[in-house]
Amino acid sequence: MRDKFSLDGKRALVIGASNAIGRAIAVALAEAGADVAVATTTPLKDEETAANSCANEIWALDRKGFAQAIEAADEADVNALIERTVAELGGIELLVNAHDLPFAKPAPETDFAEWRRVIDVNLGGPFLACRAAGQRMLSDGHPGGSIINVASVLGERGLANGAAYCSAQAGVLNLTRALALEWARGGVRVNAIGAGWTEGMAMAGDDESRAKLERYLPYKRLARPDEIAGIAVYLASDVSAYLTGQVVWVEGGALSHV
Amino acid sequence: MSVLDKLKLNGKVAVVTGAGRGLGRAMALALAGAGADLVLTARTEAQLMETADLVRDGGGAALWISCDVTDSSSVNTMIESAISEYGHIDILVNNAGGATAGMGKTLTDIADDEWRVGLDTNLTGAMHCSRAAIPHILEAGGGKIINVTSGFGFRAARDNFIYTSAKAGLVNFTRALAMTYAPDIQANLIAPGLFPHGNAAMSEFWRNGKYTPMGRLGEDEELGPLVVLLASGLTSYMNGQAIVLDGGGLAGGHAPTGFAPLVPLPEDS
Repeated sequence: MRDKFSLDGKRALVIGASNAIGRAIAVALAEAGADVAVATTTPLKDEETAANSCANEIWALDRKGFAQAIEAADEADVNALIERTVAELGGIELLVNAHDLPFAKPAPETDFAEWRRVIDVNLGGPFLACRAAGQRMLSDGHPGGSIINVASVLGERGLANGAAYCSAQAGVLNLTRALALEWARGGVRVNAIGAGWTEGMAMAGDDESRAKLERYLPYKRLARPDEIAGIAVYLASDVSAYLTGQVVWVEGGALSHV
Repeated sequence: MSVLDKLKLNGKVAVVTGAGRGLGRAMALALAGAGADLVLTARTEAQLMETADLVRDGGGAALWISCDVTDSSSVNTMIESAISEYGHIDILVNNAGGATAGMGKTLTDIADDEWRVGLDTNLTGAMHCSRAAIPHILEAGGGKIINVTSGFGFRAARDNFIYTSAKAGLVNFTRALAMTYAPDIQANLIAPGLFPHGNAAMSEFWRNGKYTPMGRLGEDEELGPLVVLLASGLTSYMNGQAIVLDGGGLAGGHAPTGFAPLVPLPEDS
């Protein structure tokens, strides 16, 4: 069974490798045998350091890869990143969109520019990366591919002060379904991981709100990033060849509650 | 340790219902392949023995017990036999189910008994098995329950009352298990799309997957890795959720009906 899940020979790009989930997914894909390029996105200044440290971990596993910082919502940046991935790794079969711009503010105080920024980065970014990678994966002679968009339970449930963020996350879920249908016969699968509250997430908030959250969660604890990454290995692998257009929720049962 | 090492199920005991053929057999073989010891149950002994032989041929351990999941005393006896053989249960796969008399009938034609048998087979059986096994799973320090629902657990179809009701019931039964036994037991669902289980007539009825977005039907073997995934340490935070393996059917909302979708596919080949 271990061999069936193996990602040997696959080339991956993980965008958002400076956040906890993206990093865990990048490392898990490499452990499962893939070569993995990692990219980090604005606005944090120390992202490049994080990307480099993630790439070091991938190299330590004897896999190929590189690190690059991009602007997630910039077409030229994203296109160039896909080109570089193809050039350095020799191709691309796996794309993971894990970058995340957290944002929480009462709607009456939210500027339209802020709204646009959240939608551009969290929804526009995955679209750009899917489009550029999809063009490659759908081209003649390409073995196809698997795209994984990491979304949040806030794409399925609303949250006060989350109008922009929740809207973008919901958009990612339906971007996933629509692309899956469009590309189903082209050998490109598109799925999402619906991540629950996870250690290292910016929106896990201060100590007090975190304690409240933990009381509410069925597990009484947040997810560890590696608990999200396991599903990414399955979705990336050919064992899930018949799975497309789905959101796999990894949220400890949070969405099952009334 | 590689992430793939978490797929190992060595030392775990898995009970699979409906293990005599098709999907249940494929899942049992996959679990055995990952290292689990198997308890195989179904009503038909000859088929169970075949599955048990296949497990043993692959180097695995298998105990087969014939059992009718709709009969709670039969289920209780089966679980007790599993415990006397292995001493513990870690994984329960509620796969038994399927078509019963009354399915496909118009609502006014469904007899009381047909409704009851359909729900007993596809929903109550999973309750019987979970009720009997959970105390043992908890005693073993926790484990996994995997319920097999269907696209019909989330969407309905014309003149499909019994199966859709039962499978949707199983979805919410699973969520209630998840709420109740987290974090010791993870309860999740597998929802296969159109899987003909090698039945040519079913393949033909579903137009060989022509109207499934991927353009093909599913193979039972494709569900093997999925059950191993849900039984493994790779899914330790997944709870109360379904993984739908349907070639894109539910994403567009037109399958699994087997008929032409309301909205044509971009490429109707």
